[in-house]
Amino acid sequence: MNEMMKTMEAAASGMRAQGARMRLSSENIANVDTPGYRRKTVTFEETFNSTRDARAVKTGAVNLDRSELPRVYDPSHPMAGADGYHLGSNVDLMIEIADAREANRSYEANLKMFDQARQMASSLLQLLRR
Amino acid sequence: MDLNLNVLRLASGLAAHATARQTVISQNIANADTPGYHARDVTDFASAVDGGGMAFSARVTRPGHIPFGPGATGHDVRETSALGTETPNGNTVALEDQVMRAAEVKQSHDMALGVYQKSMDILRMSLGRR
Repeated sequence: MNEMMKTMEAAASGMRAQGARMRLSSENIANVDTPGYRRKTVTFEETFNSTRDARAVKTGAVNLDRSELPRVYDPSHPMAGADGYHLGSNVDLMIEIADAREANRSYEANLKMFDQARQMASSLLQLLRR
Repeated sequence: MDLNLNVLRLASGLAAHATARQTVISQNIANADTPGYHARDVTDFASAVDGGGMAFSARVTRPGHIPFGPGATGHDVRETSALGTETPNGNTVALEDQVMRAAEVKQSHDMALGVYQKSMDILRMSLGRR
């Protein structure tokens, strides 16, 4: 049964990590028109609990995309400089949506693993019920 | 009589093998987007039955020791090297491949439990109970 708990723990950590990634992606999409906004990215790291021999995943530190902010020409904008330009955000909607779609797929895969572990555990317990 | 008990031992061994494999697969799927992660799998049941696999295992005498080898968890976990699945960030987990393996695991677990239950039914029948 301990193995089953380890399986569920790994799958749950995966879902948590993909959920965090999805949240950052939606924050980026929400701020696509915010002047001077830099898109947030997160990396995944493998964790290892040596006492229980359990491996899982966690999200690392949130980083800001260092790529250059685009200059938008709009003289009527309150933040526009003397030359009529202001800084936009470096969020690319296409990238964010692709990232969110990938996070969704990985989340579903983790959910499937969790469900399968649950089914296996319950069919094991079914043996006792006779 | 002796034959039947052997069948039971084999079935429970197969179920334990499937459970261990399920744990490793769910860890792979949780780390499907972790840079530098290498997919792992348990060596197949046939070689475990024949007494193959790694010939030695590390002794674990302190909590800080990392167990490896067949004696550590009863199952030999190795990295799988599927050619051409490595992504630019060094990850070798292919979701489709892992889901296929998970389906295999579910099948062998179901089969093991089925054989176990059937053998128990036969034993019970030979005792004259229903």
